[in-house]
Amino acid sequence: MLRCALSALALLFLLVPPGVAQKTAQAKTIGKRMMCLCSCNQILTECNHVGCQVSAEMLAKLDQQVSRNEPEDLTIQAFVQEYGQKVLALPPSQGFGRVAWITPVVAGLAGLVVVGTMLLRWRRPASAVAGGGISPEILARARREAERESEE
Amino acid sequence: MDIFGSFALILAVVCALYAIAAGVAGIRARHPLLIKSARHAGLAVCVLVTLATASLVYLFLTDDFSLAYVAGHSNRDLPGFYKFAALWSGQEGSLLFWSWLLSVYTFIALFANRKRHPELMPYVGVVLASVQLFFLFLNVFAASPFALLAAPAHGGELRMVAAADGRGLNPLLQYPEMVIHPPTLYLGYVGFTVPFAFALAALLGRYPGEKWIHITRRWTMVAWCFQSLGILLGAHWAYAVLGWGGYWGWDPVENASLMPWLTATAFLHSVMMQEKRGMMKVWNFWLVFVTFGLCILGTMLTRSGVVSSVHAFAQSNIGPWFAGFLAAIAVVCVAAYLKNSDYLRSDNQLDSLVSRESSFLFNNLILLLACVAVLSGTLFPVLSEAVQGVQISVGPPFFNKVNIPIGLFLLFLTGVGPLLAWRKTSLESLTKNFGWPLAGGLIFGAICVAFGARDIYSALSLTLSGFVALTIAGEFIRGARVIQARSGAHFAAAVGHLTLRNTRRYGGYVVHFGMVLIFVGLAGAAFNQDQQAEMRPGSRLEIGSYTLVLQAFTSPPPGTENYNAERATIEVLRNGQPLMMLYPERRFYPASEVTSTMVAIHSTLKEDLYVVYAGRSPENQQPVIHAYVNPLVKWIWLGGVVLVLGTGLALVPSRQPVLAFQATTRPAGVFASAESPSPHAASLLRSGD
Repeated sequence: MLRCALSALALLFLLVPPGVAQKTAQAKTIGKRMMCLCSCNQILTECNHVGCQVSAEMLAKLDQQVSRNEPEDLTIQAFVQEYGQKVLALPPSQGFGRVAWITPVVAGLAGLVVVGTMLLRWRRPASAVAGGGISPEILARARREAERESEE
Repeated sequence: MDIFGSFALILAVVCALYAIAAGVAGIRARHPLLIKSARHAGLAVCVLVTLATASLVYLFLTDDFSLAYVAGHSNRDLPGFYKFAALWSGQEGSLLFWSWLLSVYTFIALFANRKRHPELMPYVGVVLASVQLFFLFLNVFAASPFALLAAPAHGGELRMVAAADGRGLNPLLQYPEMVIHPPTLYLGYVGFTVPFAFALAALLGRYPGEKWIHITRRWTMVAWCFQSLGILLGAHWAYAVLGWGGYWGWDPVENASLMPWLTATAFLHSVMMQEKRGMMKVWNFWLVFVTFGLCILGTMLTRSGVVSSVHAFAQSNIGPWFAGFLAAIAVVCVAAYLKNSDYLRSDNQLDSLVSRESSFLFNNLILLLACVAVLSGTLFPVLSEAVQGVQISVGPPFFNKVNIPIGLFLLFLTGVGPLLAWRKTSLESLTKNFGWPLAGGLIFGAICVAFGARDIYSALSLTLSGFVALTIAGEFIRGARVIQARSGAHFAAAVGHLTLRNTRRYGGYVVHFGMVLIFVGLAGAAFNQDQQAEMRPGSRLEIGSYTLVLQAFTSPPPGTENYNAERATIEVLRNGQPLMMLYPERRFYPASEVTSTMVAIHSTLKEDLYVVYAGRSPENQQPVIHAYVNPLVKWIWLGGVVLVLGTGLALVPSRQPVLAFQATTRPAGVFASAESPSPHAASLLRSGD
């Protein structure tokens, strides 16, 4: 009896809807601009939850919208109205969403300033490096380093 | 046995507390016996946590479902192999596992150095015991794996019960790779505690010079190797099990493992600046501190439920514990730095902007920038919700847009760095060393574009991969030729001799080559194709040069497995010719009532044919097959193997000391400029690079 119940349960679970195939290339393209909202953190067309009901429903809606030949942005806007801004895979480039885009740029520029400052501060005066041949100081240091590292 | 385990953990807490107290008292009083007893207490913690861990494993193997953790993560039909792996499949067990790994690392660090570094090791012992104490507190007070299963009885009281069977292990974890992926990743995370402990100890104890770096270099490399391997195994598991056709989704859990890897990679490079030139002392301390902090932050993010993730199998309300610990780490590190910053004065003299030193600085900048980009993207949804009350998603396209250019620049630096000499590189040597690798890279890139790699990032990645591979080959060839000229050895023997004589430098090049292979694999992602179709026996699905023919659709009779399966039998034709059979499955696990997929993959160096049985159509009950053609994926796994081998090579002590210095002084054409030896000549002066 238990076996029969489990088998029935198994069959039920195997019938969970697979991710609906997008009927057009346009639907696939639009789907890649949106997130699945099942908490998988994946874009809509790549939800990795087996038998995900959320993505199946969203993909079905997407196919419906695309079949009406609505412009891409209008389709996305319809999804934003229904699910909120979190449906967008990319943060918007206006409002608070800009912070997400600006942060790496600011971090990169700040890093460049720091590295540039460090390089300039560290740079030895030209007189210290001028002259021909290897200085005794460098030779002695190289020997010390070589000896020390040979011992490791 | 559960009481035994709990008791062992409580004793471990007592021992860790004693190790801290006796260690601090010993340091202050300079009392050798106190310091020795603190060390012994640290070693005893390992024994006790091992006993607690062993008892939990025993409880899993004996199906003791009176324990909530065992009942929640195992069942009677679960193979023994996975019962063992169930140890780290949930919050409580994985934290105990973390504690155990930390105690083993601590044991090795304390025992191996028991007669060395007498001024440093007491501090190290105290720091390690403090970190251990935090995790033991979690094990005992916040997330005990030995909690008994209880059910409400009449009158609302809780009564201890034993379940007839457990809920089973998460099906996604029932995959051989998942038995080794979490331990490997944890070995990485936990391993970074040791360099952190040595760094903080050196700062607190004002330990002279770069000694702490020499001591911890191998520790850091081991932890880094495990972290790399863990990340790659996780990516492979995601690819082979989750069935979405990808291996990296910029999931918060994936990001959490990547961030400390990035800072640790920066540390492994900048540490050479301190070793060779006495520079960047402050920077290196902070890199180690930040790496450790990111390990804790990542753990907090993914376990506290702050960010959601498909990988986060263990979520609870232990976030505040981690937040408190993270704050304590920050306070201790900042205080230790402010108190002892005068001790960190560096030589900090740069002879030229075109030098190895500059390239390391840029390498560090880029790695940290990547880390900031990943961290900000991971936290942004939480931040936007906190600031605006509306969550803004940051999906994989954002991470790709930001991190692909960063990664490509890093790849470029991987090729440039080894060509630059320490101190100063002359224009002549720059032109000489860059010329043919650059030309070779461009030719390779052009060939790839001609063969269809017409995506800007992919073409760039392949061009730079060719360039870096040639610079690495050039380093081996130039070095081997010098040895050949001096010893008359065969070229292959000269390469072997060269490598073994300076394993750190040439092991590092092998690691770089592994990264090149990984970038080649990543370049293929731009050309992924997929097709999904409802199929009935005999119907066909065309994708790329493949034709898939559904031959049969069966449900194998249940055997000894703890799941029921439906299996598609698919014949694969290539250009009309039979190639092979593939058997994608969909499994149902009655214990946990969860369904999972088993992907069928036909993998070649050129591309993977990746077939998923996605389920049956709800409309007509026909099986739905989702097929992908993913180019070059195998190169990523090959790159991972090479990376691990390279790290292993770099860990092997160099075979023999540096050859006589006089013998290498100014042979014809070796020194590119008067003041600066060429990178290669410089390598002959040093045993480590």
